Amino acid sequence: MITLNNVTKYFHTKQGRNYILKDMSITIPSETNIGILGRNGAGKSTIMRMLGHIEFPNKGSITSDHTFSWPLGLGGGFVGKMTGKANVRFVCRLYGRSEKQINEIIAFVKDFSELGNYFDMPIETYSSGMKGRLSFGLSLAFDFDYMLIDETLSVGDARFRKKSKEALMQKIEHCHVLLVSHDMGTLKDICDAGIVVNQGQMYYYNDINDAITEYENINKKAG
Amino acid sequence: MIARKPLQIFLAVQKALFLRELGMRFSVSKSGLFWTFFEPFMQVLVMVLIKVVLFGKAGDNFDFAAFLALNFTAYNMFRNILTKSMGSFTANKGLFVYKQVKPIDTIIARVMVEVFITGIIILSFIAIGIYFDFDLNIQNLPMVAFGFVWLVLFSFALGLFIAVSNTFYPSIGRSINVIMTFIMFGSAVFYTIEMIPTQIQTLLLYNPLTHFMEMIHGHYFLVLDDRFVDYHYMLLWTLTLLYTGLWFYRRLEERIISL
Repeated sequence: MITLNNVTKYFHTKQGRNYILKDMSITIPSETNIGILGRNGAGKSTIMRMLGHIEFPNKGSITSDHTFSWPLGLGGGFVGKMTGKANVRFVCRLYGRSEKQINEIIAFVKDFSELGNYFDMPIETYSSGMKGRLSFGLSLAFDFDYMLIDETLSVGDARFRKKSKEALMQKIEHCHVLLVSHDMGTLKDICDAGIVVNQGQMYYYNDINDAITEYENINKKAG
Repeated sequence: MIARKPLQIFLAVQKALFLRELGMRFSVSKSGLFWTFFEPFMQVLVMVLIKVVLFGKAGDNFDFAAFLALNFTAYNMFRNILTKSMGSFTANKGLFVYKQVKPIDTIIARVMVEVFITGIIILSFIAIGIYFDFDLNIQNLPMVAFGFVWLVLFSFALGLFIAVSNTFYPSIGRSINVIMTFIMFGSAVFYTIEMIPTQIQTLLLYNPLTHFMEMIHGHYFLVLDDRFVDYHYMLLWTLTLLYTGLWFYRRLEERIISL
């Protein structure tokens, strides 16, 4: 269960405050895979970051007894001057893994991400697709209650996308996802429920299809 | 995932950050690493030469080379902790996506790396000291060690304070780099306060770092003492900086994370 209590979140812009959430209270039930929909700039990623505890509401609080992954996006959280391998090792240490486990995880990530020689080269030489592959492979090695995924599935070529999707389907048998995506197909495949973010409010739908319908309505209204 | 206790998380984060910082030092910049270890020897050598040229060989009743080695080691540690802490938040911004990494952790890890490097430099000075028969008779080892530990805490407190201010006012960091050069001349690094005229003494003793230097070499050499050291003054600085630094940090932590 994820509970938002009177959460207000805004950013300062030249035109004044830009509200992402305005005094929002909502309870999101557990044990579901949730897709987050909204127009560009509606605040999907910000909400994701707030759930991952790296962005904080201006007012109110978000509580949950679940563990969340770091937000998996396009290669955030890597240090450019370090090799892919060193970065993987670093994250494993953050999560308190033993040296033996670390070596296993490294072998797994190397194999999954298909980076080849690049795995031993500094991250700054990677393309954004390669970073995304590394990031996604690494996240699969850990168990969280919720994985926060921000468009990572659209990384790489068609074959790799298929592979990631399959890996994720396997993964969500024992964990859940909060997925931000603009690809309705992926959302329908992976998510059961949906959240639509629009004009400072979040709406929860038990069925992802209802959420998609609502999202399309919003898009139509906006023209 | 098994829930870990806060201390366990803290230690895991510290280990990861420490090894990462150290790895970066060794792998990324080879010349930087060379200078880290070569600089103190150069400083001692140059100052000894300057002194011999200006005042001739005779004079002191203590070993001037050992005096410089001791002071430069302490001063360099202070300077490095300060400059490394200062840029810590911006340099490690990318790591804050992992919620267990708090900005202050990155500073603590950097301080630990500096302490570690200082330890290696001290060991190499001792090795050289033994080989060339420099003065290694320490008057009061526990007090010298305590001086170093206290200096680490003081530098950390100052570093944290500046790091937080620097995040919101970057010009502070730039001015610190300039100020640091002057601080070295005014901190009893290559002289003792006793050698200085009385009027200037009073001025220099406003600088807290002078007290640390006097404390460290005052307890090291048999012929020197800590008569100019005001321990209350040092404590006041340390506690004030630590308190204000932590207070500002607590208030601004969330803003630093989502920078």
